[in-house]
Amino acid sequence: MSTHAYYREAHPLIFVITHWINLVCMVMLAFSGFYIHYPFFDGFMGVARGMHFVAMYVVIINLTFRIIAAFFVKSANKMGTREVDLDIKNWLPQEENKHQFWETVKYYLFLRKEGVISGKYGSLQKISYLATIPLTYLQAYTGFCIYAPAMDLGFFKGGLELVGGPMNMRIIHYFIMWVFIVFTMVHAYLANIYNFAPSKIIFLWKETEAKGH
Amino acid sequence: MAQEAHGALHDLLAVRGVSRRDFLKYCGSVAAAIGLSETMAPQVAAALEGAPKLLPALWINGGSCTGCTESIAQVDSPDVATIVLDYLSFEYFETIMAAAGTWAEENITKRVAEGGYIVIYEGSVMTGQDGNTLFVGGGPNNEGAKKGIDILKEVASNAVAVIAVGSCAVDGGWVMAHPNPAKATGVAAFLQKEGITTPVVSMPTCPVNPEWVVAMVVQLLLVADRDPAKFLELTQWVKYTYHDGVTDQDVTLTLPKGIYGQSIHDNCPRRGHFENGEFVTELGSKEEAMGYCLYKVGCKGPQTYTQCPVTRWNRSASWCVNSGAPCIGCGGLNWVDNNAPFLKRLSDIQFDGFLGMGNTQPGHIGAAVGGAVAVGLVAHGLGMKAAGRIGDGPPMEEMKAYDRKRMAKKGGDK
Repeated sequence: MSTHAYYREAHPLIFVITHWINLVCMVMLAFSGFYIHYPFFDGFMGVARGMHFVAMYVVIINLTFRIIAAFFVKSANKMGTREVDLDIKNWLPQEENKHQFWETVKYYLFLRKEGVISGKYGSLQKISYLATIPLTYLQAYTGFCIYAPAMDLGFFKGGLELVGGPMNMRIIHYFIMWVFIVFTMVHAYLANIYNFAPSKIIFLWKETEAKGH
Repeated sequence: MAQEAHGALHDLLAVRGVSRRDFLKYCGSVAAAIGLSETMAPQVAAALEGAPKLLPALWINGGSCTGCTESIAQVDSPDVATIVLDYLSFEYFETIMAAAGTWAEENITKRVAEGGYIVIYEGSVMTGQDGNTLFVGGGPNNEGAKKGIDILKEVASNAVAVIAVGSCAVDGGWVMAHPNPAKATGVAAFLQKEGITTPVVSMPTCPVNPEWVVAMVVQLLLVADRDPAKFLELTQWVKYTYHDGVTDQDVTLTLPKGIYGQSIHDNCPRRGHFENGEFVTELGSKEEAMGYCLYKVGCKGPQTYTQCPVTRWNRSASWCVNSGAPCIGCGGLNWVDNNAPFLKRLSDIQFDGFLGMGNTQPGHIGAAVGGAVAVGLVAHGLGMKAAGRIGDGPPMEEMKAYDRKRMAKKGGDK
């Protein structure tokens, strides 16, 4: 039994900030989105819509910035190390992730005892993190499709016609939000299931030393 | 010109007690509906009064409830719209015409041969059962009977234009709602499949608003001089493309932009209450009487594009939202499936018995999935604790399982 160290190199300060922005915006988006879906108290619609639009722009700009930064900023290339590599390389599957997908699934299904060797992140983790990128853009797209000033533009009108009108697009937008909620639940659970060192580094930028090595 | 135009229409209006002033006011609202300034009212009046001869029209009833006829005819208290439409010389109008039998059918054949008429089609085109619906005529064993779809083909083929009135004629309306046993579809989709290229103007809502129909007729008379090409060119349109499953066609519908260009929500008299977050939670409550927003009781105004709040209904007396009922979205495409249940914000997902599920609200699906994941994570967490992984994590493997297996042979990844 041992835990690896959590050093600042794992999440350079700029990514601690983008993660914070994501969290705050996503909470605002989900809350205002639920309110717009069904106003569960009075007097907030104007604010909810404003909040929804502002948080959406911020999250999209933040995500785009985060992707570009991945090509310039270096971060730890494995768990528990100060050894850095270009961040984008650590995002995408690394040598260590090869042949480990089913082993990771088996591990989480309690079909094997030992933890699996992985790169900076495990196979499932990388797949789900990468999937949130197109999903976030898709969510913005579906949102624009049901936003009056944008929906008549060809790019959005085509999508509306494809799914059969604004009601269906609204339902898709609503379901994608649930995907984000489920992602966040699983993400928060798996990140902190062993101990809270991952939260300390990503939120507070506080390091934790390795134990038992 | 407008001042001196009298003649038949003038007498007709006078007989029915409609003053010149009423008529011009009415022409003003028609002008507004086709996107002209209200100062064009005299020209609109002139177009109606001074038309060199009556514009022949055939009103064909398809698969529908005849609600659009009701909407337009309003027989017990004729208003200006009724009179104007009378004036348009309906040579065939099943519900209200005096002619019957062979004579009535001859009106169709004669008119089609002569041309120069418009078709107003009400109701869906029912293509199911080989089109053996909406029969006209026929002997004891139905020999010689005309099918409804054949009548449509016949009248549409030589018409100046077809005006598809009511949502049923536009895309099948409520008749084509799931599971659509009648295989109902819209006029535009059907004619496209049959290769008939007569222009089709689609005018949804259930029923259609008579003033909008008059507006389109006036547009054809006044602006376009009965020339369909000019009519299509000079009117502003909004186009919707959809795939019609019944005819398997990608259809582009043509709707007048002045009428179907903006959402109900954007012109709604209750819109201020929406922005303020003041909602009706229960029908019949005092909030409803105070004019609060009907969003929470399922109003589909935000995704329905009609001019209802501007034109209103029943001689501009009122309309659904004004009277405290949420918009049910009858002016949209596939409107029943897309908007039912009418008092809920989102439409149901139709599972058709898949996994024992019927119609389900998206909110219930979302909450069920979210709840299941939460329960799953708690259970998984208990498993992780039982497996002794909490705290310091599991013992790590020294080598990938893949490499262990391949060790003897090739040496795996490393």
